[in-house]
Amino acid sequence: MKIAAIAGITFKEAKRDRVLYLLFFFAALGIVAARVLAVLTVGDRIKIIKDVGLASISLFGVLMAILIGTGLVYKEIDKKTIFTLLAKPLHRAEFILGKFLGLVLTLCVMTLAMTLIFLAIVYAHTLRIETPLLVAVGFIFLELVLITAVAVLFSCFSTPILSSLFTLAFYLIGHLSWGLELIIRKMRPGAGRTLVRGLYAFLPDLENFNFKTEVVHGLPIPAGIYLSSFLYGVCYTAFILGLAVLVFRRRDFI
Amino acid sequence: MKTPLFRKGSAAALLVAFLLASAGAFVALKAATDRIVRGKQPGASIIYVPSGKFLKYATFGYRALAADLLYLWAIQYYSTPTIDDRFDHLDHIFAIINELDPRFQDPYEVGALIAVQEARDLRAAFAILDRGAANNPDQWVYPFNAGHVALMTVKDYPLAEKYFEQTMKIPGAPDFVERLRANAMFKKGDLETSWQTWLDIYKRAPDERTKRIASNHLYNVKATIDGKALEAAAAKYRDRFGRFPADLETLVRTGFASELPKDLDGNDYLYDAATGKARTVTSPWKR
Repeated sequence: MKIAAIAGITFKEAKRDRVLYLLFFFAALGIVAARVLAVLTVGDRIKIIKDVGLASISLFGVLMAILIGTGLVYKEIDKKTIFTLLAKPLHRAEFILGKFLGLVLTLCVMTLAMTLIFLAIVYAHTLRIETPLLVAVGFIFLELVLITAVAVLFSCFSTPILSSLFTLAFYLIGHLSWGLELIIRKMRPGAGRTLVRGLYAFLPDLENFNFKTEVVHGLPIPAGIYLSSFLYGVCYTAFILGLAVLVFRRRDFI
Repeated sequence: MKTPLFRKGSAAALLVAFLLASAGAFVALKAATDRIVRGKQPGASIIYVPSGKFLKYATFGYRALAADLLYLWAIQYYSTPTIDDRFDHLDHIFAIINELDPRFQDPYEVGALIAVQEARDLRAAFAILDRGAANNPDQWVYPFNAGHVALMTVKDYPLAEKYFEQTMKIPGAPDFVERLRANAMFKKGDLETSWQTWLDIYKRAPDERTKRIASNHLYNVKATIDGKALEAAAAKYRDRFGRFPADLETLVRTGFASELPKDLDGNDYLYDAATGKARTVTSPWKR
């Protein structure tokens, strides 16, 4: 109940943030501009529209999660409102979870709005609702949830600028960590390879949420990967949130 | 009775246990997800890579770094045999690397090598090497490699001659390029120019080895010229008498040849009356 109340307040707070609308405007612009880009191509225009549309939802969603998420906890500490909140019978874990869920709700609404515009643009060209695109969007949202958790974690102990940089680094690492697999294959067995293998297992693999290519090209997606990718996202998010709670519990505000 | 301190300690332990459990879960799930083979659109990731002209403005001054990264990626990509159509955009990819860093030498050589040996795309190989030569006019290796491909793989001798001629004009080009050009001329069938070129090389030879190589080629060119003349005379003889002459002297006696040529070492040519062909007593390369 307390978590829901904090989530509700966070949602209302995020709604008033102008950055959110600015990013939404650019996301919508990106999705609509895909139509213009498609004119420049020779061949499959729909592919360009889908690629640019999905990329816009993903990219601007991540920017929303980073720019709003990294300030969530910091603002409360900076404005001293945290004292009022923690003076009440409220666990710090509830506070963190409330903040996280509030932003997730905000991102959910924004993702839905962007998806509606995207589907409308695709419908205008294909005259049908392409439901497979929702799979890609669903996993983009799951990625945004994880990024939000990371932003909240860094927000617990760092300034918004540094937190933004850290979260952005997490995002980039998450999309490049698959390269470690190539390095592992080329390394000789030994301590170095074990270390890289450990890094590969522990670092985030955000490509697990990337179904954009499969969906756009209409490739078959193995059924098992939906569940394992979803559970991977949930477990990683839970781990990051647990870490955020651990850090926040140890913080001294005096 | 539990004290608040004890409760705080147990909550922290619980939290750490939760962290360990969730970390273990996502590591196991990552391994499980990796085991699932996902469908791939071969080459789809590179079709839409823009040309280097546009990409270089998007690298924010890190053009050389972008070229390095793209080159490293290309090496991995082209050495992955599971991507069946990986060679479809070979020239496009190497054109981007060349555009981003025109003085980066390795991509020209490696790109051309992949095009010739792996992709069997000779058009792409010549395109990559031509770009290398255009972007690095001081490097003789690109027209030389193109000439070598033309001579050995395509067997387009006029093209090989053109590339070797281009190579010779670049300061620092090795001496043997001139010999390769002369060889290309010979294979093209331009025997007179080939003879003159080899003779020139022979006269200017800085060492005995070069002199011997030039001499062997002169021997070969002369044998080819003489062989063609004798075969033509023998063919005329057969047209008149319905058979090839029994020996070469018959050609002189009957007026089909004014005199019998000798090879460069002064030896008579061997003659096969069944085929009407003349050949040298030894191989030009075993003199």
